[in-house]
Amino acid sequence: MVEARPPRSRKSVPLASPPPEETAESEASQTAALSERALRLARYYRGKVETVPKVPVRSLRDFSLWYTPGIAAVSEEIKRDPARAFDLTGRWNTIAVLTDGSRVLGLGNIGPQAALPVMEGKALLFKYLGGVDAVPLPVDVSTPEALIETALRIAPAFGGINLEDIASPNCFQVLEELQRQLPIPVWHDDQLGTAAATLAGLINALQLTGRTLASTRTVLLGAGAANLATARLLIRLGHDPHQLTLVDHNGVLHAEREDLDELQLRNRWKYRIALETDGGGRRGTLAEAMAGADVILAASTPVPGTVRPEWVRSMAPHPIVFALANPLPEIWPADARAAGAAVVATGRGDFPNQVNNSLIFPCVFRGVLDARARSIPDEIVIAAAEELARCTSTRGITEQHILPTMDEREVFPHVAAAVAESAVRLGIARVRATREEFYERARTLMARPAALTEALQRSGLVDPMPDEPVPPKNPR
Amino acid sequence: MKRTNPSGTESRPDSRAQRAPIHARPAQESDLPALIPLIVRLKRLNEEFDPMLKVRPDVEAQAESVLRAELKNPKSLVIAAEGTGPDKDKVIGVLRAAIRERPFYMPEAEGVILDIYLLPLYRRHGAGQYMVEHAIALLKERGAGIVTVEFPAQNEIAGRFYATLGFRPITSHHARIL
Repeated sequence: MVEARPPRSRKSVPLASPPPEETAESEASQTAALSERALRLARYYRGKVETVPKVPVRSLRDFSLWYTPGIAAVSEEIKRDPARAFDLTGRWNTIAVLTDGSRVLGLGNIGPQAALPVMEGKALLFKYLGGVDAVPLPVDVSTPEALIETALRIAPAFGGINLEDIASPNCFQVLEELQRQLPIPVWHDDQLGTAAATLAGLINALQLTGRTLASTRTVLLGAGAANLATARLLIRLGHDPHQLTLVDHNGVLHAEREDLDELQLRNRWKYRIALETDGGGRRGTLAEAMAGADVILAASTPVPGTVRPEWVRSMAPHPIVFALANPLPEIWPADARAAGAAVVATGRGDFPNQVNNSLIFPCVFRGVLDARARSIPDEIVIAAAEELARCTSTRGITEQHILPTMDEREVFPHVAAAVAESAVRLGIARVRATREEFYERARTLMARPAALTEALQRSGLVDPMPDEPVPPKNPR
Repeated sequence: MKRTNPSGTESRPDSRAQRAPIHARPAQESDLPALIPLIVRLKRLNEEFDPMLKVRPDVEAQAESVLRAELKNPKSLVIAAEGTGPDKDKVIGVLRAAIRERPFYMPEAEGVILDIYLLPLYRRHGAGQYMVEHAIALLKERGAGIVTVEFPAQNEIAGRFYATLGFRPITSHHARIL
């Protein structure tokens, strides 16, 4: 997960206990090495995805079928019935990765041009993990209204839209408005992908520690895109709103906080959650909120020490700690466990229990595209989270394994099928099939890109990494 | 922000925290500690709408002296709103109004609603309407033949709210910083 970002005003919090020196140091040098290599490879490959024909071209004569004059008949067919675009073109499997570049990774508002490499990377992930054709589309707009308008205008080319790296709270308005107006699924990964992955991990962590959601007291640190969506989904799943405490850099978010009028005007999503939870009956600081809590879900500042071990110690017995800031978690897992945490999750792949939205978005899009769903309501997001949790659970969960790793991708088609089935159940699917049929379709479509990439590499059409020795196994 | 409902007790399918009917009564001096922060919140909200409504640094002291004077002034009206149920006796809102003379127009006595503020949790469910109608009844008792209300021109929520109560713009108040 790369989406937990520092809040706008970043306060430096003194460290509770200094992070293990070698961890911080090796982390820094590792990040520097990765950055340098990424830059070198970007220079070499100049882009990460390209358009590849999916039809035979035996000679130029075939273009009279793929293009004019033959293609006019296809256009006429779609003119008669626009829904046929999903059968006669690639629309069924093509999405836009749309951004205004207003909040890219932890880099902030770097604009659409600088966002392009990130959108290309996301498009590659969509294809490789989900079998989804994704078009990187950073656009130059200065208001949420203009972004909405742009999305509405490009929609005829796409079967879905993935919104990416849009600043909060504009991202809520853009998502809500597009979900209302467009007949295709619209998703904002920074909200929904992160929230769904968090939810999936939490479901299993609760099961491991013998808790039910209805009797759980939860603190959410950070009130940005991801945590506001997580809070909404938790309540929807049955969490008592009055046992839910959101904390931001002004402390506990409650109904009588001084800045609430401003929030009503500028961020009605946060305002609504403030009224609905009213601080979960708490007031004051993070430390006060955490006392006696069962769960903390932190998606805030990437500074270890933001969550202190003594606060973890003040939680209920066997607490659950998700420290999801990237690249540095709010508390080091070892510190959290030493303070009594029963289950610890982070956003990083080098610790156990990575809460990673790459576990979610490929499956959700595979599912909604296969069912040709009209939208992605919260029920579908929850279905994806529950299925991901269930798949992990049937394989056996432990404190160190509440979510699949990226090496356990055989669960992906199951999640996609659950999504598609959920769309059918909700009556928003335009393709009806059984869960087994959806599963088979997803499995086939999700397996193809890896085979394709491998074939391209094997044939030499995709260059091997220029900075690695050529593998000896294929001597010419 | 505020819904129209005569009873002030309409139940909407929101969370239970939002089902918060209120009760209005004349404010007293003992309410001042609770009323002052509410007035200050309102003034800060007004500043959000327009930098020309920038709040003075001594706003708390000003709110106190204005409210103190108004509590003694027969031409002024200060109403305190209380919660009900567990929030009974908790002041959760305020309304300031005054009787003004109209030297050139009829009706001659005008009731002016100057400020109204309810804590966010107690909005909607007709609470705002209940407060305004309560104030109008008292202003009428004191001879007002017309009622007016002042709020920042940018506050469209207030504009819509008063429109539903039958108010329409009558004069415009324009400003320029010197």
